[in-house]
Amino acid sequence: MTQTSVVSPMMIKGLVILLLYQGAGEILARGLSSPVPGPVIGLVLLLVSLLWRQKTDPDLQLVANGLTAHLGLLFVPAAVGVVSFLPMLKGNMVSILSVLVVSVILAMASTALVLRGRAADRPTE
Amino acid sequence: MDLREIWVYLSGSPLFSLILTLVAYQLGVMAHQRFGRSPLVNPVAIAVLLTAGMLLLIDMPYPQYFEGAQFIHFLLGTATVALAVPIAQGWHLLKGRFAQLGLALLMGGLVSVVSSVGLASLLNIPTDLVTPMLAKSVTAPIAMGISESMGISPTLTAVYAVLTGVIGAIAATHLLNALGMRDWTARGFAVGVAAHGIGTSRAFAVHPDAGAFSSVGMGLHGVAGALFLPLIGPWLLKWLS
Repeated sequence: MTQTSVVSPMMIKGLVILLLYQGAGEILARGLSSPVPGPVIGLVLLLVSLLWRQKTDPDLQLVANGLTAHLGLLFVPAAVGVVSFLPMLKGNMVSILSVLVVSVILAMASTALVLRGRAADRPTE
Repeated sequence: MDLREIWVYLSGSPLFSLILTLVAYQLGVMAHQRFGRSPLVNPVAIAVLLTAGMLLLIDMPYPQYFEGAQFIHFLLGTATVALAVPIAQGWHLLKGRFAQLGLALLMGGLVSVVSSVGLASLLNIPTDLVTPMLAKSVTAPIAMGISESMGISPTLTAVYAVLTGVIGAIAATHLLNALGMRDWTARGFAVGVAAHGIGTSRAFAVHPDAGAFSSVGMGLHGVAGALFLPLIGPWLLKWLS
């Protein structure tokens, strides 16, 4: 078995694992009419199984790395939908941007400050 | 076969949307690398601007574009499941810090939601443009799912999430330096909680520990957002209006 010849089947196996967990998540979300999206339930199920087995299948690793490295590409089609909202956004662009800037700075600062405050409590640090 | 016939064929098949989206993203990635991976030159923002600009230019309706681009869009759910892998790998880093990180996550999530909705209502932004802000700090694939289940536009949610990520990635280094944060893990976690995937790729560019913690912060915020936003979102919106 050579290195190169196994590349493509490896990717398929990783993809199959992800799709099965995604499917299980969707079925559970619908079955329980849960407000939590199916893929998030799939994420939690996969996380539990990974932590349980204490190792990650290399095939799964490969596909997961590829998908998460280019997560940004995957939401381009949805975000392009902004073209349908342009008339609505026109008069509010400045206020929306100000809200987003202030809010992300406050969120990041408050998360960081909780961690700094708690770290300072610990004598070891 | 003249050019018009070729165009009619292409614009009706998924191929055109797929090529347009992927070429725009590739150009974004190339520009990002060209400018020394500066957070100011974000590949996703460039891809969205180029693609949207092209649609306006050739006068192609969005639903027609999406018909083809939905094959990329579908993978969002799969990529969400894949986030379990970086979380599982960062899990050992979390041991003994669960309470502290959980508190920080809860604080960051609450501040993100309350500050955006509160400020937006102060500025009299129309409600339909405010509701998609609820999930803006949650990673886009999960944020869109949350919004959809609450009857909120997933499109605007994605747009706000991208903008939030870009702003967060630009602001992170200056902000965290100003706050005197020296611990890479804490810095990364704060970036992941506030600026999700785009912040995380920035964190990886700065320091591997910051990147690992950022992906864990992003993943945990995704799960927490999916659990809590449908509960507190409607209540918060009612209270503020």
